[in-house]
Amino acid sequence: MTSSPNQFQTLVSQQRWREASTLLAALPEPSAADLLTGLPDEQQLSLFRALPIPLAAALLSRLPYYDQYILLHARPVDEMRRVLDEMDPNERMRFFDELPEEAWQRLVDEIGELQPQGPATDQTEAAPAVRLRQRAPTAEAQQPIIEARGLEKSFLQPDGRKVQVVAPLDLSIYPDTIIALLGASGCGKSTLLRMLTGLAQPSSGLVLWHGRQVGETAPNVAIVFQSFALFPWLTVQENVEAPLLARGVASDERRRRAVAAIETVGLKGFEAAYPKELSGGMRQRVGFARALVVEPEVLFMDEPFSALDVLTAESLRGELLELWQARKIKTSAVFIVTHNIEEAVLLADRVIVLGRHPAKIRADFRIVLPQPRDHKSPQFLLYVDFIYKVMTQPEADVTLPTLTEPQQKAYPLLPHAMPGGIAGLLELLADSGGEEDLYHLAERLRMEVDDLLPITDAAALLGFAELKGGDARLTERGKGFAEADIATRKRLFRQASVEHILLFQQIVSTLSAKSDHSIPIELFRDILDEHFPKNEVERQLEIALDWGRYSQLFTYDPETERLVQSQEITSPAEPQPADTSS
Amino acid sequence: MIGNISRTTRSFHVPWAVLPRPSRSVIFDLPVFAFGLALLYSFVIIAHYWSGPLTPRVAIDLSPRALPVYTFYSVLRIFVAYLLSLAFTLIYGYIAAYNPRAERFMVPLLDILQSIPVLSFLPGVMLAMVALFPRRQLGVELGAILLIFTGQVWNMAFSFYSSLKSIPTEMREAARLYRFNWWQAFTQMELPYSVIGLVWNSMMSVAGGWFFLMACEMFVLGKRDFRLPGLGSYLQTAASAGNGKAITWGLLTMVVVIVLTDQLVWRPLIAWAQKFKFENVEAVDVPRSPVLTFLRHSRILSALSNKTTAPLGEALALHFARRHDQSKPPARGSAIRVWFVRILGIAAAGVVGYALVKSVVLIAGLGVSGLKSILLGAAATFLRVNVALLIGAIWTIPVGVAIGTHPKLARVAQPLAQIAASVPATALFPLVLLALIHVGGGLGIGSILLLLLGTQWYILFNVIAGATAIPADLQEVCHIFGFSRIERWRKLILPAIFPYLLTGLVTASGGAWNASIVAEYFHLQGKIFSTTGLGALISHATDDGNSQLLLTATIAMALVVVTVNRLLWRRLYRLASTRYRLG
Repeated sequence: MTSSPNQFQTLVSQQRWREASTLLAALPEPSAADLLTGLPDEQQLSLFRALPIPLAAALLSRLPYYDQYILLHARPVDEMRRVLDEMDPNERMRFFDELPEEAWQRLVDEIGELQPQGPATDQTEAAPAVRLRQRAPTAEAQQPIIEARGLEKSFLQPDGRKVQVVAPLDLSIYPDTIIALLGASGCGKSTLLRMLTGLAQPSSGLVLWHGRQVGETAPNVAIVFQSFALFPWLTVQENVEAPLLARGVASDERRRRAVAAIETVGLKGFEAAYPKELSGGMRQRVGFARALVVEPEVLFMDEPFSALDVLTAESLRGELLELWQARKIKTSAVFIVTHNIEEAVLLADRVIVLGRHPAKIRADFRIVLPQPRDHKSPQFLLYVDFIYKVMTQPEADVTLPTLTEPQQKAYPLLPHAMPGGIAGLLELLADSGGEEDLYHLAERLRMEVDDLLPITDAAALLGFAELKGGDARLTERGKGFAEADIATRKRLFRQASVEHILLFQQIVSTLSAKSDHSIPIELFRDILDEHFPKNEVERQLEIALDWGRYSQLFTYDPETERLVQSQEITSPAEPQPADTSS
Repeated sequence: MIGNISRTTRSFHVPWAVLPRPSRSVIFDLPVFAFGLALLYSFVIIAHYWSGPLTPRVAIDLSPRALPVYTFYSVLRIFVAYLLSLAFTLIYGYIAAYNPRAERFMVPLLDILQSIPVLSFLPGVMLAMVALFPRRQLGVELGAILLIFTGQVWNMAFSFYSSLKSIPTEMREAARLYRFNWWQAFTQMELPYSVIGLVWNSMMSVAGGWFFLMACEMFVLGKRDFRLPGLGSYLQTAASAGNGKAITWGLLTMVVVIVLTDQLVWRPLIAWAQKFKFENVEAVDVPRSPVLTFLRHSRILSALSNKTTAPLGEALALHFARRHDQSKPPARGSAIRVWFVRILGIAAAGVVGYALVKSVVLIAGLGVSGLKSILLGAAATFLRVNVALLIGAIWTIPVGVAIGTHPKLARVAQPLAQIAASVPATALFPLVLLALIHVGGGLGIGSILLLLLGTQWYILFNVIAGATAIPADLQEVCHIFGFSRIERWRKLILPAIFPYLLTGLVTASGGAWNASIVAEYFHLQGKIFSTTGLGALISHATDDGNSQLLLTATIAMALVVVTVNRLLWRRLYRLASTRYRLG
């Protein structure tokens, strides 16, 4: 009995979910529930997804409403209802009572969706004058267009080690849906998209298009790229014709179809223009026309609106939805990769949230709001809030071993944040009484989640703040930091980084061991090389240098390419009155 | 929302709608027609001459009346060599960019080939060509053309290779996703993306062709004396005879031809290539060319292209597309192919190994005194090249900064400098040498002057570019804080132009090493002027047909140039790109 928690930990850390759930089933319910909630959020979700429905229901009954709500959403919609059905009726009542009004409303909507005569479906059919696309039918009714099985991507480092970018995952894309793939930048979304389209080879696993492997068939896909990827030396017309030419379509037919596609995206009259003569939004329209002209079965979009200004992006999104709903584009599914939560909730029928390092599915759920969606409606905000919470659950201390070498611990990643940003966040938190909802924080700062997340992660990593269920709370040290002057801040930052960050411990101890207090940066590049892909290594070094400079631990001499210990540390008596060198 | 867009359309300034329609005037067509006729005539003449019997030693006529024909031959040689270079460039660059295994040795090989002076290729190329066509003029002609080719091709190949490597990933993905076949990818993506780099490098290459024209048209190989009718041999004969009038005529002709080429070929090409600029906003200051405008308005040309190139292009594109569409994904690593590649590899390794052993034996036979002279020569040339660079830098930095920071001065000085730079220094050598001999200087010092003549322009133009790029606000900062002149140079100007200066110096250094073969060894007034140096050794060895010395000296030069590149210039480059980068 005493060994079971340990055994449980091992099973979970090796991602052997089935065995872990058998173990849980053998335990008394209260301790099983404790074990479950004791896990890092990410593993909680994965494990819960794997539990048999009765056990899931039993454990869920013992948890507070908040955990219930999140865990429930780890499962597909149809299973959510079955879990709720299996729950103890009293407990279910308590859950519904405690759940905030909007959340309850939404949950009911989601579950009601499965019933053929639900109120939601009535609404859709009554509303539009144009024949709207049917809301996505249930998964079981249709064959998937694309099916990914155990899809995985890892890169081999020069020294033979593997760095995993996408953890093995299963994913199916069904007709008549817009899927949004959400995740912070650099989390492997684009890699996943490229594997699904056949542009990139998975390290293992399969991508099946209508049951046939992607290498054997050439699937009819199109991608709308973030950078537009138009050929600047071809006119709009020639750009749109290019994919048709590649398929051997003759000149007249090509011209006709291209003109039609250009008209669809609202660029009529611009056929003879060159892309550089157009604005960004118009250029992306050309990108759309080029994608639509091949009438792809699935239209992929890789952050299609993030290179555009807010207003242009909004109007383009609106047009896309209009075209889709009026069935003016002959595409049976749309797969959009984005880091913008609102964009996902505005467009998608189904949202998949990816976690980082390596990418894996954290949540996969359906959005059952009717189109057009009002981004100020409470239900809309609830979705946004929910995704925020999924995305902001602390991952920094997740000691998830990589699959290839279970015994090796993941090297902690420095969040991509500047000391100035961290200081700003802490001040803001102190101003709002030491605690704030992350979503509101981002809204106050007018920041995207993937700009804010690294900063909060960094604050948490340094022990200045705690992240709990979508809230950020200032710790004692963080409070001290927010109230201190610059010199003291630097000292606090110095202490915190040496205390909490492995890379800093390594750097500082190496530097003080050397007689000349300097060391080639190459050494640390080698260390990081073993754990991260190439460009991430450079990012990590840059961040480390930034933090090192701010905390006056060490500096970098570009001429000798060495890290040099700062004066302040070699004579550790008193922190120097710092000038404004930051 | 679609309505929104069409509203903007109406008020939108549409540049292509206000462009003049193609003019229908016949006057535009007459010159085009005349040009076509002239082209036809020259084909006939050339065919007759090349298929004629071998006359390895043409008597060069020094009267100015002979010049048009000679010029025509020289231009044709450079042109054919350029076409060869282009074909080679496309193939070499393509393979190096797409075959990782080949890339590993093809790119360093380019680096080495670039450092080998033209004359070192001479004996091999010439003897092979003459052996191939022993009775026809074609053999010697081809030899000369190949020599010019060896002086033109390497930088072009490098430019194409690096363009291919820098095509943005998303653009490549678009091409793959939309199933472009290799032909479509080549014509719609790879070639357009590389055009600008190719045009600029072509200009440099052709200028290089003029630079080495004299060496390529007239030379002694062992006991055989080769002379081809051409502008280069005219100039050299005139120099040997000490005929000042003929030298002036020849020089004048060359300048006219170069200026004409610039106006009729390069300007239009550069203006046309703007279309391929990979940029997101339209540039304000676009290079223009009246000749291009003229060509674009010609009715004959547009009719001709509508009837010929356009349908041909379409047919080709469709042909490749349909073939590509039907073809199954290639069965990878079929046994025959693998074996073929293996056998080819083994054969290549065998040939290389054989050549290596042979050359080692050859070099070993050179003896201590030979090696000594090579070392001495290398040291002398090294010194000379760097002194020339130093002098070049000393005068061009202040002048270049003055031109670059004063727009008014630039308007006058820059075109003048461009014309001055376009005259190949080799053509000026005889005049300079005659003057030197007149005042009593030797070639030892004189060759530094000659090197300087050839290479200072690279430094000057780069310094001007660097000085133009200094942001105005930084200048104002210096002004506000009352920086002294010295402080201003140390704190702002020198660091700001450093990366540009470096580019200029690297190009100049490479050019100077190559030019040493003509600067250190010269036929004038029936005598040979030479001085101690690696270039002189190579020229001398070529003249004598001493392949042992030639091989060793060439290896020595390549070794020095590549080593200096790796040890000095590459490090400075890294420094420039990390520390002295603006913006």
